Amino acid sequence: MPKETTTEDVPIVKQKNTDEAVEAGLARLTPERIKTTINQVLENETGPKFKAYVETCMHCGLCAEACLYFLSNDRDPSYSPAGKVKQTIWEMLEKKGDVSTDFLRRAVHIAHTECNVCKRCSMYCPFGIDIAYLMLMVRRICHKLEITPLYIQDTVNSHSATMNQMWVKEDEWIDTLQWQEEDAREEFENLRIPLDKVGADIMYSVIAPEPKFQAGLIYQAATIMHAAGIDWTMPSSPGWDNSNMAMFTGDNEISGRIARAFYETAARLKVKRIVMGECGHAFRSIYDVGNRWVGWAMPPFEVVHAIEFYHQLLTSGRITIADKYKKTVTLHDPCNVSRGRGLHDMAREVTNMVCDSFIEMTPNREHNYCCGAGGGVINCGPPYKGERMINNRVKAEQLKATGAEVLIAPCHNCHSGLEDIVHHYDLNMEVKFLGDIIFETMEKKIFNPGD
Amino acid sequence: MNAFIAFIMGPMVWIAFLIFILGLIFKLVVIIKDVNARESYVYSYLSVKYSLRSIFAWLIPFFPQSTRQSPVFYAISYIFHLLLFIVPVFLMSHIVLVNEAFQLSWFALDDTLADILTVIVVLALVFFAVRRQTVPEVKYLTSFNDYVLLIIVALPFITGFLAYHQFFFYRQMVIAHVISGELVLILIPFSKFSHMVMAPLTRAYMGSEFGNVRHAKDW
Amino acid sequence: MEESKSFDWSTDLKEVPVREWKDRFVWVEEPYVSQDGETIASIVNVEEAVFTVCENGKTWDSEYEKAWCLRPIPDGQFAACVSSDEEWTVSISGNEWENRFDFIWNFQMNHDGTHISLAVQKDSEYGMVVNDDPWDRMYENINEMVLSDTGNSAAVVQVSSMAAADIEAFKQGVFSCAVNGKAIEKNFLNIWDISFDTSGENVAYGVRTDRTSYSIAVNDSPWDTSFQSVWKPLFLPGDTSVIAPVKTGGKWMLYKDNQPFWKTPYNQLWKLAISPETGKIAAIVSNDFGKWTVAENDVSWDLSIDQMIFDIVYSADGSTLVAVFKDKECWTLAVNQKKWDLAADKVFDPCVSPDGSIVCVVIEKKGQYFLVVNNHIIPTGFDFMTTPVISPDSTKILQKAVKNGVYQRQILSLDKIL
Repeated sequence: MPKETTTEDVPIVKQKNTDEAVEAGLARLTPERIKTTINQVLENETGPKFKAYVETCMHCGLCAEACLYFLSNDRDPSYSPAGKVKQTIWEMLEKKGDVSTDFLRRAVHIAHTECNVCKRCSMYCPFGIDIAYLMLMVRRICHKLEITPLYIQDTVNSHSATMNQMWVKEDEWIDTLQWQEEDAREEFENLRIPLDKVGADIMYSVIAPEPKFQAGLIYQAATIMHAAGIDWTMPSSPGWDNSNMAMFTGDNEISGRIARAFYETAARLKVKRIVMGECGHAFRSIYDVGNRWVGWAMPPFEVVHAIEFYHQLLTSGRITIADKYKKTVTLHDPCNVSRGRGLHDMAREVTNMVCDSFIEMTPNREHNYCCGAGGGVINCGPPYKGERMINNRVKAEQLKATGAEVLIAPCHNCHSGLEDIVHHYDLNMEVKFLGDIIFETMEKKIFNPGD
Repeated sequence: MNAFIAFIMGPMVWIAFLIFILGLIFKLVVIIKDVNARESYVYSYLSVKYSLRSIFAWLIPFFPQSTRQSPVFYAISYIFHLLLFIVPVFLMSHIVLVNEAFQLSWFALDDTLADILTVIVVLALVFFAVRRQTVPEVKYLTSFNDYVLLIIVALPFITGFLAYHQFFFYRQMVIAHVISGELVLILIPFSKFSHMVMAPLTRAYMGSEFGNVRHAKDW
Repeated sequence: MEESKSFDWSTDLKEVPVREWKDRFVWVEEPYVSQDGETIASIVNVEEAVFTVCENGKTWDSEYEKAWCLRPIPDGQFAACVSSDEEWTVSISGNEWENRFDFIWNFQMNHDGTHISLAVQKDSEYGMVVNDDPWDRMYENINEMVLSDTGNSAAVVQVSSMAAADIEAFKQGVFSCAVNGKAIEKNFLNIWDISFDTSGENVAYGVRTDRTSYSIAVNDSPWDTSFQSVWKPLFLPGDTSVIAPVKTGGKWMLYKDNQPFWKTPYNQLWKLAISPETGKIAAIVSNDFGKWTVAENDVSWDLSIDQMIFDIVYSADGSTLVAVFKDKECWTLAVNQKKWDLAADKVFDPCVSPDGSIVCVVIEKKGQYFLVVNNHIIPTGFDFMTTPVISPDSTKILQKAVKNGVYQRQILSLDKIL
């Protein structure tokens, strides 16, 4: 079969897409509202940190090397991290908020679809300037101007009304858990997904796309929990979803409300720890961002990402591997749990415990390239998908160089984004979660401490 | 004219140093007050250990990944920043002046070496200017002000070099040298030169966030 | 809480063996204990897709395809959500309600157990049912269900349709607060945290009126002022005045009826508690980022908590205020500003005597459950324990615990344990 597109001959499309929400929002704006809103955010919602970042940047351009958008777009300087700041924040400051709707159309496009707020650039800036923070400030302005892209705004609307990302109705959530529980009795006849079990050791939490589209992941998680003999529970009430797109649109008020609902659910269930599925942004939301807005400096509960949890289960012998996975695998480091939580070495250990042949990709660990989907970029939806493919050519090249058959992506956003990349660049790789492989290779027997 | 020269050679030196030091102190006080008032959460994450870890990691030549990816720039930049202090502080003629005023003295560079180092500083500045013109991602960010900064730094070195060699207008060169040196000192707290104190602060904060919260390296 | 005077306070120990249940059934789910402590019950699986409830070793007469959400209700009875032939209803000790639904959830009960409410879905329409009496009108979606002490029900309902990703419709406001099934004719972008007043006739709730404006609404009227954010409002006892934490100028303030009420601006302010007896108002607050305390009538406790204050509870006479919190990785309590010496892995809901003199709570430490009374840990550990009851005269505690496969209902005399 002839290859339609390869890493070499992808056409560079300079078209910057927009969508109806952005356009309708822009059409409603008046110069006064633009100016007032920008100045309100820049004056009242920023402080010395913002000032220091803007004043200290020496325009040296070293951050460029960090950015997948810059690298994938043939080093086009407008895609460099500081280049994006120049096109947004600098001009807003320079013009004291007096910017046009054309400027804002470009700004919303940059902040929402040309930056994954992955913070790789902060590791390349000699001064450690947090450029992602500046991009999020642009998103905050866009949020207040009501020009946030359509699909991600819809997820925020859903969060605000239902406390989950995908308009999952309360009965659908419980019904899905009960359905997965029944199905998973294929594995163990007495398997349960205990709902609202007050005093359980662990609250297991997922993101809304799991009950909506990937209920099988709940089945797998329940099987692993049951086999490992974990005292666990899942809430039947809102607060079960640990995802948070509001933190990526700058809707801090909704973001904080989500975090509060989440942690109060854990507190109501009197659990010791919270374990979450393989999602990166959700981890960032509950571990690093949402909690701060309400005033929890650090999460009030220990939050264990799936990578760390699998590591605990495997090293403690609660889960044993019957037969290691045979295909060659490579591992992607999701920014929010590697650069965001330092779990990259643990992820490698888990991979090696369950897979026969692991091929490292380069760069890796904290320095791995972003999937191009995270930070709410994939959530901006279909209008921007084509650009997203072009904007992450460098990832495709990196993956291709490994020659691995399977790509492990322990994060939902990464997983979806990389599936798109693999398909677009015809990389002929299977994208899997760590949990998929553990589920496939584990011994389906219940842990007995005496064994 | 003599009164003017006496002023810039005498009180103005004091004034320049005072503005330089008090200006930086003032800047730090403003930042701390501002942080206390508006971003006191910063203290919840700031850690001496991780601040220093990050700052030191970034002081080791070619230790951070970023420095290895742009080795020429970093090499020149390291040398440039070192010389920016070494040359004026250890220059024999400067030490002599200090000695006359305060009877203090310390190790001095050999004049010829100092001469060569001065040329290196100027060449480094030329390199930065050329880089601003030729590297697209840098050119994209560069504004007129960035060149002005380069010129302002270059001036005391160029004028000092010319004065030392007494090629022409010796007297004027010395005056220009003193004035431009004072100008640099005065501008440090109020221009991008303040990265001298700001960069360690931003580095410290990012280092703390990475060390304390993210449990990851930031280099 | 049920009238505890009628409970048996004189028999020191009653036991029910529960371990053998595991042999009788395929599996036994987590136990629940009746309020009087006389009965312990679990949902049990009899065989594939056959569930019932086992109470003190006796199963209900009825069996179901599915059962969940077992809860004790007054008179030593239990209720559960049960399903047969893909229809759901409530079963009270084996006797089902007449109404059947496609799904039911969110079990709630008023303080004396005379009213039980659930959220229901039938034919993809949503509403509530109270004591087997469903709402007349059903809606496209439902959230934030509440039950008043007088048996009125309210929830946030979606009153008009919205296509997928229709953010323009959302912007117009498609949500309303429905009381007893009747939607108030005022829509908002969002509605959260509905509170009833003492009479159960009036509701107050937090609303979002546009992308960035929040306010408090009472029945159908939002306050005139808009805020940066709001948390759950409360009616003052026996009054129609409403207090609510609101965020304004970047700080949280306590407002009353649209006017500033407390003077102090806080970094955070939420979870109000009001003593009907004394009129004192308490809230969980944060003065400095990451540090929590309790404020009573706008005066902060001399206590700084670094993780989370989960709840605050007044004694009936208002003399005692108990806070449940996690500090330095351990859960503990504070009673009237005084921190207890507990360092528990889990602290369950505290129980406070009406006069405030006795505070007891169940904790879990290293996998064992203990009863703690007035900061005194009773050293006997249990495998499981549920919320105790303090006798009406505050001299005894009814402890409900399981040890070595036996449920023990014990009456502890406070003069012996303290």
